Amino acid sequence: MASVTVLPALPKNWAVPDSPAAQSLAPVVQRKLIPAGSAYLAHVRRTLQNLSFEAHDKLIEQDRLRIEALRADELNGEDHAGVGDDEESPELALLDPKEWKKQDHYQVLGLSRLRYKATPEQIKITHRKKVLKHHPDKKAGQSHTTNDDAFFKCIQKAHDVLTNPERRRQFDSVDPHYLALEEDAPTAADFKGNKASDVDYFFKAWAPVYEMEARFSKKTPVPLLGSFDDPKDKVEAFYDFWYNFDSWRSFEYMDKEVNEGSDSRDDKRYTEKKNKTERARRKKEDTARLRSLVDLTLTLDPRIKRIKQEEKDIREAKKKNKGGNSAEGKAKAEEGNQKAEEEAKRKEEEEKARAEAKKAKAVAANAAKKARRQQRAAEAEATS
Amino acid sequence: MPSNGPLPNGSAASPVQLTTPPILGINLGNSYASIAVFTKEGVAECIANEDGERQIACVLAFHGEEMYIGNQAKQQLVKNAQNTITGFRNLLGKKFSEVPQDKLSVSTPVIQHPSLPDTPAYKVKVLQPAPSPLPRTATNTPAASQVATPRSEPVEVERILTVSEVTTIFLASLRQSAEDFLGRKITGVVIAVPTWFDDAQRQALSMAAEDAGIHVLQLLDDAGAIAACTSDSADGAPTDCTQLIVDLGASSLELSLLSIREGLAYALATLSDSTIGGDEIDSKLIRFFAKDFTKKTKTPLTVAPATDAQDKRAEAKLRLAVEHTKRTLSASPGAATCSVESLKDGLDYTGSINRLRFDMEMRSIYDKVYVKVKELAESAEIDLYDIDEIVYIGGSASLPGLDESISQGFTESVITSFKAGTVVGGGVGDPTTILARGCALQAHLLVSLAQTSSEELLETFNKESEATSVAAISRTIGLLVPQEDAAGSLGGIWIPLVLKETPLPCRRMLTFEVDASGANTKVGFELWEVKEGVKIDHVKPPKLDGEDGEDEELEEVKEKTLTKEAYLASLSLSPKNPIKGKTTVQVQAIVSSTGALDVSFREVIRDGFGAAVTATIAAP
Repeated sequence: MASVTVLPALPKNWAVPDSPAAQSLAPVVQRKLIPAGSAYLAHVRRTLQNLSFEAHDKLIEQDRLRIEALRADELNGEDHAGVGDDEESPELALLDPKEWKKQDHYQVLGLSRLRYKATPEQIKITHRKKVLKHHPDKKAGQSHTTNDDAFFKCIQKAHDVLTNPERRRQFDSVDPHYLALEEDAPTAADFKGNKASDVDYFFKAWAPVYEMEARFSKKTPVPLLGSFDDPKDKVEAFYDFWYNFDSWRSFEYMDKEVNEGSDSRDDKRYTEKKNKTERARRKKEDTARLRSLVDLTLTLDPRIKRIKQEEKDIREAKKKNKGGNSAEGKAKAEEGNQKAEEEAKRKEEEEKARAEAKKAKAVAANAAKKARRQQRAAEAEATS
Repeated sequence: MPSNGPLPNGSAASPVQLTTPPILGINLGNSYASIAVFTKEGVAECIANEDGERQIACVLAFHGEEMYIGNQAKQQLVKNAQNTITGFRNLLGKKFSEVPQDKLSVSTPVIQHPSLPDTPAYKVKVLQPAPSPLPRTATNTPAASQVATPRSEPVEVERILTVSEVTTIFLASLRQSAEDFLGRKITGVVIAVPTWFDDAQRQALSMAAEDAGIHVLQLLDDAGAIAACTSDSADGAPTDCTQLIVDLGASSLELSLLSIREGLAYALATLSDSTIGGDEIDSKLIRFFAKDFTKKTKTPLTVAPATDAQDKRAEAKLRLAVEHTKRTLSASPGAATCSVESLKDGLDYTGSINRLRFDMEMRSIYDKVYVKVKELAESAEIDLYDIDEIVYIGGSASLPGLDESISQGFTESVITSFKAGTVVGGGVGDPTTILARGCALQAHLLVSLAQTSSEELLETFNKESEATSVAAISRTIGLLVPQEDAAGSLGGIWIPLVLKETPLPCRRMLTFEVDASGANTKVGFELWEVKEGVKIDHVKPPKLDGEDGEDEELEEVKEKTLTKEAYLASLSLSPKNPIKGKTTVQVQAIVSSTGALDVSFREVIRDGFGAAVTATIAAP
């Protein structure tokens, strides 16, 4: 509608037309819209929310910007499915595919930011990216070393491991990145001196440890360390959970390879048996390690002290209160005492009765034994 | 590491999902259906079912233990017609007493359901698999035999299917096709329904869809699907136009006239006629081929209607074969063949027809459609010259001859999908897929709306919603730049600003360049309400040599006219910084929902706008 040609200006002698200006537009007619399309949506939005055209424009602009921002996030550096781009360290190129058990599969695929959190989708995407980059066909003629495809083989191996859920779990159990972190776990020595009473330091030191260990839990959600102000039941739930921690961690990945070359069945069985015991030992060690961690946390936990202190305060406050209104309290206390005494008596009696019964039983048994022995002796005599 | 808790293997916080949940648009016609999905690329696309068919015949056939759906079932019409169900959509929500019984049926007849009162149903013979033999126990196997008891033969039973059951089976197969294509469960569906569907029919359709495991987001009128498709797919700014929709399906003709103003659409008039349709075209075509067959082989063959049992079968065969012929004709300008093996008396038939011959045969049908179009325009009190665009729907509307004969009555500038070249190759104007794509777009809109907005907004997409009734202005408002020596009755250059039938509230903006070369020039315009009309002149056609001058008919020549109706205001300003004797100005008009007009006129300068001149006209 907007014309392309240049419109002329008003003629020089133009004046406002003398025909009387209409007071209003022609009367409106009523129509029924078809509820379809984005234009209808825009119309409804404007009428329902009583927006002016400008306000609606602003809303649409905001929406557009929001969506664009989301898109930009997604497409940044072809960041498909939230896969970032790891720097490839020069050490990676030196990896030996024969030593694949020692390589960090996540690092090889460039997933070291995500690790156990990477989705199968992300693994697929990064694998594809890496293959595109490192395929031997792409490298033909670039270098003259013979093991051009060494890193490519490593990539394939990493892909094999990470796409098989069972094997991926096994690898996740002994992920070298986390193994290193595990060794850095705080020890009792870290909490000596003035650090013992430093609440912030406690939470700073332990929170990441529990976050890291939580990935092994079969049960979810896993209660995390929390904060200093947590109520008693939350703290208790935390320790309860972690003392009964049910872990899926396993150590098959560390198995010694059965020597493929030898066909000695005994040899194989021997290795297998050894592996099995080794696995069990490692698992036991791991459980013990976690338990000691929890133990240490419990002893150091400032919240326990706080809770105890609070309980004590409450008790004392109660006591003070008791002093105030004595008669009733005393009566109750006495009643309680009496009850306790009666209970104790009853228990004693029961115990006595039980002991007696035991004695009687023992006596009876002895007598039976004696009788049997005598009988046997008599029989022996008779036969001889 | 997320602070909200540990995560098991491979459950990283998934990236932002921009893709909407899988949706489906269904066009369920009486004869053919099509389905469309919203693709990753952000366009609606018609998809094929597992047989590779984008046009899925609405036919259900039973043969033995098997059930056939779609085009496979259509083949059964030849040999197994009594177990083949067609045309069930139009019976949805109808009582048995309302179903006309006199129609000659080529498929399973509609019967009264034996137990449900006044319900139309179909009776088909199927083989029911016999129950598998009982497991061996001590009592029922007196003679010890290690051989398993063989399954007995399937039993022939009669199966009674109600219309809604048939629809459910069919819709479920459509859903299955789409889910196989997408690999995901469909979460929401929009189904196109004809405008004449009443509440009972709509109700029955949505019930059948729910039974088929389909969550119906909306039952959208055909016209709505077109509006959603044509207004959303335009890449530029949505335009104001009057659209004629010609829906020539296999079984009926439906016409509607839409007024589309920046995507807001409403129907000015609708019309439907079930006597004109693709079946009629088929009949004419098979009659043509039957005649040709008789000529070639000296074997008498009378079809459409056929009386003899053998002829009936030949007719069914021909009907299947001409489907292909029609499609070939629509796709290419050359001749199309029709071949049937053993058409009658073991004689094969191969014949061909070219487009010209075909159009000649179909002339009467085209003319009927044209008459109906004129009738529709008259009922809406609109001249054909006021229609800006023709949109075709339905398989039979793909015939180029139809477009040629209809558009002769319109202005030269009328836009049709054939002129735009968007029909072939499943383009945006493809009549066979346009409805399904419109539905998919609408479904996409509704689903994304449901994610972000309130129920209240969704409610407004209900057909009965109050939000659908709006006021619209009744006269075109435009700018008149007066000129001393201008041609025409208006005395200046006319630029329409707000067209009549524009729903309120509305806003229109125009930007244009004006001449500002002289000193002290003023730029501006007068604001007028005008009445649009069509002047019909009868002029003598140019005389041809050797023709008699007596029975000469006067030729109609149409011309659009404008007459000033009411003067509203005039706005002018002195341009501040003309560049090379020109300046750019912008006019913005806002009409409130009551009909009050607000016009502002300002100059566009380098970094913004100059001072605005405004005028306000009160609501009527």
